[in-house]
Amino acid sequence: MAHDLLYQHEVKQAVRSAYEKITTGGGEPVARRIYSPEQLSRVPPGAIEWALGVGNPVPHADLAQGETVLDLGSGGGIDTILAAHEVGPEGRAIGIDLLDEMVERAGANAREAGVDAWTEFRRGEMEEIPLPDESVDVVISNGVINLSPRKSRVLAETHRVLKPGGRLCVADLTVEEDLPPEILTSDSAWAG
Amino acid sequence: MAERVFARKMKKAGFADVWVGAKIPYGIEDAALYPLFTDDLVDVMRRLIAPERQGSVAISVIAKARKP
Repeated sequence: MAHDLLYQHEVKQAVRSAYEKITTGGGEPVARRIYSPEQLSRVPPGAIEWALGVGNPVPHADLAQGETVLDLGSGGGIDTILAAHEVGPEGRAIGIDLLDEMVERAGANAREAGVDAWTEFRRGEMEEIPLPDESVDVVISNGVINLSPRKSRVLAETHRVLKPGGRLCVADLTVEEDLPPEILTSDSAWAG
Repeated sequence: MAERVFARKMKKAGFADVWVGAKIPYGIEDAALYPLFTDDLVDVMRRLIAPERQGSVAISVIAKARKP
C-alpha cells in the first residue's frame, strides 16, 4: 500500500525537519490564493509571510462571539488570529504547534494584530493535544491533519477536547489517485 | 488521503454530520508556491505526473463535523 512506504516515525521526522528548515512561509502568493482581501486586512504582514495553509476554514466554522476555538498546527498564526477576531475578547483562541519557533512567531503576530489578550499559542502535538477533555467549542486546522502519520489518533484527540455539540472544521488536501512512489517517498511531499 | 477515507475516519472517531465540500483543485503550480515543496520535488512531479493531471494533483477541501 502506498501509505506504508514510509514508517510513522520517518514521516514525523520529515515533517518536523522540513518545517525547521524553511525561513519563510508561502507569503502573499499563497495568502492571496486562499484568503479574502478583507481577511488579509485583519492580520499583520508577519502572519501573511508565514501562510502555509491550503484552504480557508474560518469562514466555514460559523464562529460566534464568546466561543473557544482551537487551531491545530497554528504555524505563523494567520488562522488563529482570524478566528480570534470572530470569537472576540469574550472568547478564546488557542493555537498549538509542534515547533517553538512557530509558537513564538505566532505570538508576536497576535500581539501585532491586537488579539493577544484572548489568544495564546502553545507547543504541542496534535496526536496528544495539551488541553483538557471537553474544553473547546470549535477545532479548526489548515493543511495540517494530512501531515500526521496517525490521522485517526488526531481525530480522536480532537473529539476528546471538543465539548458535546462542538464542531470540527478543517481545510486539507485529499488525493483520489495514487501518486508515483518517487513522490510518495519524498520527505518534501509529506511535509508539503 | 482520499476524501472517503477522511470522512470514514471522522465518523469512526465519533463525529456526526460529516460534510466535505468547497472543493478546489490543487495542482503542481499551486504546490510550487510553498517553500515546503522543494524545487527538486516539483521537477519530479512535473516529470512523473501526466500532463492532464498536473492541474489537479490533489483537491483542497473543507471538512466539517459535529461532536454529538
